Amino acid sequence: MHKLLILLFSLSIFAKTPITVGSKGFTESILTGEMIAVLLEEKYDQPVSRKLNLGGTKIVFDALVSGDIDVYPDYTGTGYVMILKQSQKRNSEDTFNYIYDKFKKNFGLIWSRPLGVNNTYALAVKKDNPYFEDISTVSQLAKKSEKLIFAAPHEFMERQDGYKSLTKEYNLKFDPDKIVAMQAGLMYTAINSAKVDVIVVYSTDGRIKANDLKLLEDDRSFFPPYQLALLAKETSLKRHPSLLKVFKDLDNKVTSQEMTRLNNLVDQKNVNPRVVARNFLISKTILDGEIQSDEVRDLNFIEYAIKRKRFLLRLLKEHLYLSFGSLILAVLFSVPLGILLTRYASLERLVFPVINIFQTIPSLALLGFLVPIIGIGYFPALIALFIYSLLPIVRNTYTGIKSVNQNFVEASKGIGLTNMQILSRVELPLALPVIIAAIRTAAVTVIGMATIAAFVGSGGFGDPIFRGVATVNTNLILLGAIPSALLALVVDKSLGLLEKLVVSKGITLKK
Amino acid sequence: MLIIIYATINVIGEIVIKVDNLTKVFKNGNTLAVDNISFEIKAGEIVSLLGTSGCGKTTTLKMINRLVEPSSGDVIIGSMNHHNIDAVNWRRKIGYVIQKAGLLPHLTVHDNISLLSQILKRDKKFIKNRVSELMETINMSYEKFAHRYPVELSGGQQQRVGIARALMEDPEVMLMDEPFGALDPITRDSLHDEFLNLNLKLKKTILIVTHDINEAFKLSDKIIVMNKGQIVQMGTKDELIQSPKSKFVSEFIKSHSNA
Repeated sequence: MHKLLILLFSLSIFAKTPITVGSKGFTESILTGEMIAVLLEEKYDQPVSRKLNLGGTKIVFDALVSGDIDVYPDYTGTGYVMILKQSQKRNSEDTFNYIYDKFKKNFGLIWSRPLGVNNTYALAVKKDNPYFEDISTVSQLAKKSEKLIFAAPHEFMERQDGYKSLTKEYNLKFDPDKIVAMQAGLMYTAINSAKVDVIVVYSTDGRIKANDLKLLEDDRSFFPPYQLALLAKETSLKRHPSLLKVFKDLDNKVTSQEMTRLNNLVDQKNVNPRVVARNFLISKTILDGEIQSDEVRDLNFIEYAIKRKRFLLRLLKEHLYLSFGSLILAVLFSVPLGILLTRYASLERLVFPVINIFQTIPSLALLGFLVPIIGIGYFPALIALFIYSLLPIVRNTYTGIKSVNQNFVEASKGIGLTNMQILSRVELPLALPVIIAAIRTAAVTVIGMATIAAFVGSGGFGDPIFRGVATVNTNLILLGAIPSALLALVVDKSLGLLEKLVVSKGITLKK
Repeated sequence: MLIIIYATINVIGEIVIKVDNLTKVFKNGNTLAVDNISFEIKAGEIVSLLGTSGCGKTTTLKMINRLVEPSSGDVIIGSMNHHNIDAVNWRRKIGYVIQKAGLLPHLTVHDNISLLSQILKRDKKFIKNRVSELMETINMSYEKFAHRYPVELSGGQQQRVGIARALMEDPEVMLMDEPFGALDPITRDSLHDEFLNLNLKLKKTILIVTHDINEAFKLSDKIIVMNKGQIVQMGTKDELIQSPKSKFVSEFIKSHSNA
């Protein structure tokens, strides 16, 4: 039935259904995602929906399995170690064959042949730091590791082939107090300013070269092979033959050195990933077309914002939909709930603990829970923000009504108002300032928190913030941060004006 | 004047409020707040329920207005028996004035006076005329005060508005709970006079709860003295002074009266 509907729908508009291309939240993944998207669009005339910059493996992989996206780039090692939880050492070819069979059988997912990039983890140190002068392998580092500050992405701390096994394999003795888990982009900033000494990087990261780091040789072959390849749903491949063509187009076409250069263009020269991906495909004669200039002059923030004004408008739209959508839902739900709680004391003892607990779930954790259930994009973010706006509005509606002077309630009852009339004509108007105050709080919270929702691909001002942090691009961070702060201010002031309009002067007047 | 036309013409001597074996036991601690009391009030009479705090006078008044449901006994007002009419409609037929007026702070004077009429969906023009007429009778200019909020009024003005609100639907019976309690002595005294003048025209049947014996003497035709939930004596000012039925009454009069 479902498929029939889709078929009818596609026939009715004489258009191909778009292929949704996803990627993780770092440059190489975004670049590879762009390569897929550009090839589909320009070579095969296939509409594409981009869900690039989706956060970590768990979120992107869950999105692929649930069908929210059709294809995304991943690494053979990630599939082997993180998803299949394997720890036995295998060479590149064996690893690929193993995951190809298991993914097809277990998940109905198909790996493309590797693109040629081996982006494994590596330990990196500053080239010009005399302390590391005669250290070129991880084994050598182990002997001098005790006083060093070590930083790695969060993911690395938990992986099978991550921190624990690495330190065991090489007998590394980092001081537990000097181990930092942090966002990958920020690690480079940290090592450059000598806040940390050793960082865990992806070996093809453009920032290694740009920050003058040297990679330490994995002399005991600890890290499994991490060959870049594409991962798609088997059903998507059958439905879209062009996707299979893209698999072939990219087979063994990008070397690790080339990828490092491309990453560097995006991270350090601020060239648009789509331009970099497209130019590369043309230079490799995979795609026909003109190479676009990738000369980018350093822009100040205003010039940058003007240049990206269409992007900015889209972000604004996404951000407004998300924050107002969840706020309106929360008001429609919480005000009646708050009223109900004032009427039934037993309900109050039940409901408040529950929404209090919701409130204490960290936002990232909540999003992590929601993705496998609802998927990615607008809805999980909407639900998460809705949940966070509940408590202040329910609580204030409740206390606002509860704290209405009982003399007024009794007077109204005494002259013959029904309970509903007392609620609508006395209690709610008197509680209104407290309720609106809560809506203001919720609005400001939601607008701020909506930036985190970009983590699950809902867009909005969080999107450039995440990209900016990942690529160390200040303008990009500001492009998200400044408008979302301004938006919060504007909305807060507007709700303040609304409060003046709807709250009776009789309450606000001072004698 | 329109007021006179709307005012219920009571047949003098007819019993309008009848309280029969009324009792209230509060659940917490089995307190016997009102202990089997009975009395009758005739049309046009002003009667005071007098007593110290905790004597059960306010509970009695609230039972008559059905803000407190009686544990046993009957209340009859005119043709209404509290067993066969719901509490909301019951209250709408009774004018109710409470201490500190109980005006709703978010409503203007106009809206406070006419709140019940608005709920009963009376004609807007009628409401405006009626409010303006009532404000005239309580000596407050409509133009000047109708659109003010309670917080902008003095205590005496608030109390007058409270009385106007109770009169809005022209009830036969008015119940007043310490209506002049929160006012300074001078304002209270002039409001007493105004109130008596007003009722000369309106001839409402009125029950006033008060702890102030002088107020009771000044305003009412009859006084019901209550103590510990029971009626100690019911009678006129002279009857209470000249033939107190108990030591409690005579001492109460001695210690509180300046008559």
